[in-house]
Amino acid sequence: MEIHSNDFKARAREALADQELQKALKLVQVKFVPNRAAAAAEYGDFEALRDAGRDIRNRALENLDLWLERFEQEATRRGAQVHWAKDAAEANAIIVDIAHKNGVKKVVKSKSMVSEECGLNDALEAAGVTPIETDLGEYILQINDHEPPSHIVAPVIHKTREQITELFHAKHHKPRQTDIGALCREAREILRPHFLSADMGISGANFLVAETGSTVIVTNEGNGRLCTTVPRIHVALTGIEKVVPTLEDLSVLLRLLPRSATGQAITNYVSMNTGVAGSGDSDGPEQFHIVLLDNGRSRVLGSELKEMLRCIRCGACMNHCPVYQAVGGHAYGWVYPGPMGSVLTPSYAGMEHAHELPHTATGCGQCSAVCPVRIPLPELMRKEREMQVDAGLRPWTERLALKLWGWSASQPWLYGLGTAIAARFLKGLGGEEKLIHRLPLAGGWTDGRDFPAPAGKTFRELYRAKKELH
Amino acid sequence: MSSRDLILGRIRASIGRSGPADTSAVAAHLQASPRGPASQGDWRNSHEGVLQRFTERATALSSTVERVASWAEVPAAAAAYLISRQLPTRAVCWPTLADQPWAAAGLAVEARPSRGDDLVGITSTFCAVADTGTLMLLSGADTPAATSLLPETHIAVVPVERVVPLMEDGFALLRSEKGEAPRATNFVSGPSRTADIEQTVTLGAHGPYRVHLILVG
Amino acid sequence: MRVALFVTCLADLMRPNVAFAALKLLKLAGCTVEVPETQTCCGQPAYNSGDRATALTLARKVIDEFSGYEYVVLPSGSCAGMIRAHYEELCKDDPALLVKAKKLAASTYELTDFLVNVAKLESVPGDFAGSITYHDSCSGLRELGIKQQPRQLLGKMGQVEIKEMSEAETCCGFGGTFSLKFGDISSKLADNKCENACATGADAIVGGDLGCLLNIEGRLRRKGDRKTQVLHVAEVLAGKLD
Repeated sequence: MEIHSNDFKARAREALADQELQKALKLVQVKFVPNRAAAAAEYGDFEALRDAGRDIRNRALENLDLWLERFEQEATRRGAQVHWAKDAAEANAIIVDIAHKNGVKKVVKSKSMVSEECGLNDALEAAGVTPIETDLGEYILQINDHEPPSHIVAPVIHKTREQITELFHAKHHKPRQTDIGALCREAREILRPHFLSADMGISGANFLVAETGSTVIVTNEGNGRLCTTVPRIHVALTGIEKVVPTLEDLSVLLRLLPRSATGQAITNYVSMNTGVAGSGDSDGPEQFHIVLLDNGRSRVLGSELKEMLRCIRCGACMNHCPVYQAVGGHAYGWVYPGPMGSVLTPSYAGMEHAHELPHTATGCGQCSAVCPVRIPLPELMRKEREMQVDAGLRPWTERLALKLWGWSASQPWLYGLGTAIAARFLKGLGGEEKLIHRLPLAGGWTDGRDFPAPAGKTFRELYRAKKELH
Repeated sequence: MSSRDLILGRIRASIGRSGPADTSAVAAHLQASPRGPASQGDWRNSHEGVLQRFTERATALSSTVERVASWAEVPAAAAAYLISRQLPTRAVCWPTLADQPWAAAGLAVEARPSRGDDLVGITSTFCAVADTGTLMLLSGADTPAATSLLPETHIAVVPVERVVPLMEDGFALLRSEKGEAPRATNFVSGPSRTADIEQTVTLGAHGPYRVHLILVG
Repeated sequence: MRVALFVTCLADLMRPNVAFAALKLLKLAGCTVEVPETQTCCGQPAYNSGDRATALTLARKVIDEFSGYEYVVLPSGSCAGMIRAHYEELCKDDPALLVKAKKLAASTYELTDFLVNVAKLESVPGDFAGSITYHDSCSGLRELGIKQQPRQLLGKMGQVEIKEMSEAETCCGFGGTFSLKFGDISSKLADNKCENACATGADAIVGGDLGCLLNIEGRLRRKGDRKTQVLHVAEVLAGKLD
């Protein structure tokens, strides 16, 4: 997928001015946040569950090579074919090759963020294969001129019902439906024949189970089950980090994921696919291909950001992020928005393409407070900032300002003088109403806010004067 | 070098592995398969409590639940459900349920795989998970996965002795009774749904619009 | 109890009364308070900006200045959080410094936390007459667990009514340099905060971190609200300063 993360500022500004978007984004706060809180409270000791989730993911990552080898061995034993892709291009090539070898013309897809990461749909289309997105949200985006998703769980969270009504009317050439149930049925009736006629289904995988060689997908709509049940070929594309050791470990993560994502105790369907259809089976694919994507993950594993690989893609970090709530997912300019995206995008797509993202958070810590696997997201964003400073990627003005300020703060006498001057200068700017409406070099602040002026003398001045008095 | 070797090599370098791996920790974890935390509650203390939890949870997820005393009552219960909802009385069922006296209850049930246009699918279940009100369905020649997926109405027969507390208990049964996972292990918790439009839950996305559970025993 | 007051650079420059109020409260709680003269800044802006070297220089300075005291108290959850939650990571490559950093972290407290849980202050002199709504600043809340402490202290002032706002725990949009780098997003978040706070009809918005308070006040005033007061909790609790 094309990356626009360095345009974050401009995209965020557009988002803030977009009234329809602002109306749609309200639902993040109104629905996801309280639903997650209620689900965590209803469960009981959710904190212990989060600890267990963290430990399970760490255990998988500590011996990632061994768990992947075990996974491959079991999957292969059951008749699946495991492919390894070092990057997005290789993943696309593998899948296009499977399609070509099998004369595949049409593919039904269930939602996969890894396929977005790879730009798989474009690769399929370029190779003469038609991909059809079947998750309702992804379908809406696909017929809207291949718009990218703005959320990893709820891809059309940025759209209002009215917009979808108009889109369906325009693309389906049917009467306008304003009822959500009717819109859903319209999409169902258009997509059902595609499921029955497609030659290949492509899914992601929320988890890979090393013990059994299974892929697991977590869905509500049933399109994931259809994609993996009806067509004669199933391709599951996922990241190498998704492996978990055992079915017991899977059970714990399946308690955490839906509660953190949507507040559900379980999603409607949890589908575990193991190997190919048996000789007597009336359904299930004859070929099962599992494509394991690296695309930067093995590098992250050896970096200070490795805790990010625990991520189970629930979206809670973005749902609870005040910045995401304000600007939505498109501002972030790539596949993964919000705090997890601010860590992942520079790692997967290159820091030079996403140098703004580690700065797009206030550091409020709400994301890590809800993360089901306790990823210290603000800390990881801070580490990325360190990487930028070390690599000389920050603007010289910022670097100089920090150095100057740090140097003066190490010289108490100089610092005291500087702040005494600043206090007077700022007081002067504030005038009678004690408010600064425009502050040189701080337009970022004063464009939207006044700056309350200080009293005119610093504490250290006043305190010293008082002490001398006594 | 193959991408496989390249990726595994990078992983080993990243986790600081040099020389042959010590596989004992992995083997020990697979052997022990320790269980993690789960929801606590008095309901786990008795089987009636487990059944009650199952019923509550399934109902909360928009399944309908009834209980009959024996298998003999199942066809009539299924018929009564379909008729009361003004749903078609023609259905497909799992081959394992072929011998049930459906016709005597007024139903036209065929024991064959579901095609795209069947409106009612009748299945049993491998087991059910009370914690979340969930069916655990295993695919197989006599238990095709599509029967619970393609039709708009799914009726599932759940013997009470097959209702277990937790997902882990379902996996334990899978190991002890089947040895290994079948092609598809599907956990189903009510009718299919979507909340993609305005985060408003709507039943009947791509799978069934309704799921009716008949507890037996 | 021998306590060192870390004034914080924002209070020093922007609102000295916050530090005087903290001083008064600590004395009332029976502490012997000292204000190390050479103190400047805890290094948080540099640390959060990725300038580790500068942050480490300032951390060394703070550790030198404040290690000799029984307790170090700051009228800021964010700066106290820097010392308590982040100095260890910052100093991890210097074993000798790390020992000192951990020790300092263990003796460092945010003001209201210290007054409630260590000094066990019984009564407060504040005489604010009216209603207030409390903004929970992020670092204090999530790094230090500051939630009930300020409310408990405010509750000791008989006449004050606390009207809780919705989303009291949501960020006000300040975020240090974030407020400059992404001014429009920051203002939008401040807007949400102001709306929630004003919806309570409280006379004053009170909090424990000056950064947030300047942000909230700045947005309120820009929107034309000259009436709602924005106060640091120390100022409210301490009442009149001499």
